Amino acid sequence: MASYAKETFEFMKLALEQANDALANLEVPVGCVFVEDGEVIASGRNRTTETRNATRHAEMEAIDFLVQQWQKNGLSPLEVSERFSKCILYVTCEPCIMCAAALSYLGIKEAYYGCANDKFGGCGSVLSLHTSSSNLPTSYKHNSELASSKKGFKCTGGIMASEAVSLLRSFYEQGNPNAPKPHRPLKQQV
Amino acid sequence: MKNTKSVSPQVCEIIHIPEKPSFLPHLQPTVNVLASVIEPKDANTLVRKLNQIAPLENLQHVKRVRKKCIDGGKPQLSLLLCMTVGNDDGEDDCMPCEILELVKSYQLTTFITRVCKYAATSKEEWDEQCKLWPTSYHPPTYNISGITGFSEEESQSVFGFMRHTITLATSSVGQVVNAAVIVDPSTKQVIASACDQVISSASLANEVSKEGSCSNYIENLKASNLENQQTSLLDGSIGELKHITNNVACLHPWQWALRSSGCWHPLRHAAIVAIEYSAAGDLQLFPDYKARSPLKKQKIEESGFQSNGHSYQSLRPYLCTGYDIYLAWEPCAMCAMALVHQRVRRIFFSSPNSSAGALGSVHRLQGERSLNHHYAVFRVVLPEEVVRNKVVDGKTSGSG
Repeated sequence: MASYAKETFEFMKLALEQANDALANLEVPVGCVFVEDGEVIASGRNRTTETRNATRHAEMEAIDFLVQQWQKNGLSPLEVSERFSKCILYVTCEPCIMCAAALSYLGIKEAYYGCANDKFGGCGSVLSLHTSSSNLPTSYKHNSELASSKKGFKCTGGIMASEAVSLLRSFYEQGNPNAPKPHRPLKQQV
Repeated sequence: MKNTKSVSPQVCEIIHIPEKPSFLPHLQPTVNVLASVIEPKDANTLVRKLNQIAPLENLQHVKRVRKKCIDGGKPQLSLLLCMTVGNDDGEDDCMPCEILELVKSYQLTTFITRVCKYAATSKEEWDEQCKLWPTSYHPPTYNISGITGFSEEESQSVFGFMRHTITLATSSVGQVVNAAVIVDPSTKQVIASACDQVISSASLANEVSKEGSCSNYIENLKASNLENQQTSLLDGSIGELKHITNNVACLHPWQWALRSSGCWHPLRHAAIVAIEYSAAGDLQLFPDYKARSPLKKQKIEESGFQSNGHSYQSLRPYLCTGYDIYLAWEPCAMCAMALVHQRVRRIFFSSPNSSAGALGSVHRLQGERSLNHHYAVFRVVLPEEVVRNKVVDGKTSGSG
């Protein structure tokens, strides 16, 4: 635990705040922040119930905000790609396969997550989409090839995992309001 | 696992893409193992000892003992000792020491042989496996009907929707993109449809279908009797198929940054956009449904609900439960997982995606048992595809 920089926990706390906000709105409590050059530039939390769109995960919410923002500021796709390559993601739960693929397409620099996602995780639990399979030496690549190549990102789990898990636990104990019918009877908190 | 329907005079096909890669029965992957002929009287003792010192961890389907009848009807027993380690030359020093001890004390003469690496998934595979070395076979317990059994009527409906999807994918001038059409198979209604919105011109072209896809579009489709129109729609698009496929988002998901500037979004692949439209349509059709209380019953009766003179299904579906999606190309990992999240029932795609496909080509999400939802996956082969395959093969090397 002590080997991580203090700021790692500070940013994860902000991601947990987002997750808390999701919980308060009857959403699956997962939250995230994007950090560029030591500054939070976007945050997001799950919005699947509100939108009835099960793909509106915290990461997708934050990514859409960034793309819109940068587009409004007149950035070209190549410039947007450069900005994403400087981004570090802090997310309370391991990105799912969908989000991990998306983060790889965008080419972010690094990701820190809280708890692992045994069922859907795309950063090692089920698939490992964060690892790059492109073995070309960097000097070999031209600029345009860099922008188009399959990119991996560094990924570290277990940052404040127990906080992330306890949020998820309290959500599932109150019952997922968006589920079609309960798979098991709702339990009162022990 | 094929269900072939012929439509005069050309052949359409719906091919099930299974959860595991399939092999021709005689081409199943094998691994080398170390075995020895043994005396029948030693068989029980040796099997017991081997199960302790060298259990067949990844070869649970492989039997330990092979019984062969040699000349004169006399049975000969061979025993599988262990998997070979390192190079398969069968040298004694490759053996774990416990096995080596066993070999010495029972004076066994070892030999290398092959066994099938994966458990058989069909009787035909099993028959082939047993020619090498006996294995056990457990037929699948799930109900295969409903996965592979398409009636003539249903097949025609599938081909019709796929033609419609390919028409969408090729309808913007000067480019081919991926297209996604979400269908309620029980009513044969289009719930939502979209094309890739990763690059600017695609986005512009999509504004048309976006406007239509939630409400008018459904009406138009119903009015125009979709299935009878397919042939004429397609005639116009075959010529346009000779466009490059560099703009198909799921084929080149990492290359968005090389696109022209303007109105664009790197992650707005067709399936993601179609899911968004179907969710928006759900909100529009059932605005009052809110998950205010976790205890509130989810399925609310909406009988008699009318919109533009058409009555809709009485039950609001949960996400895309029960719906099918048609895609021109096999989806990438992001889109395939999005379709798991949105609980789509079946996926039909036309062309495989060898660079990034997640339904059999690179990954195989329908076979990931840990996921909380599983869809059935089919490839739909249309006769026109011969034309398209030529286009794809010839043009993918060109770069944008």
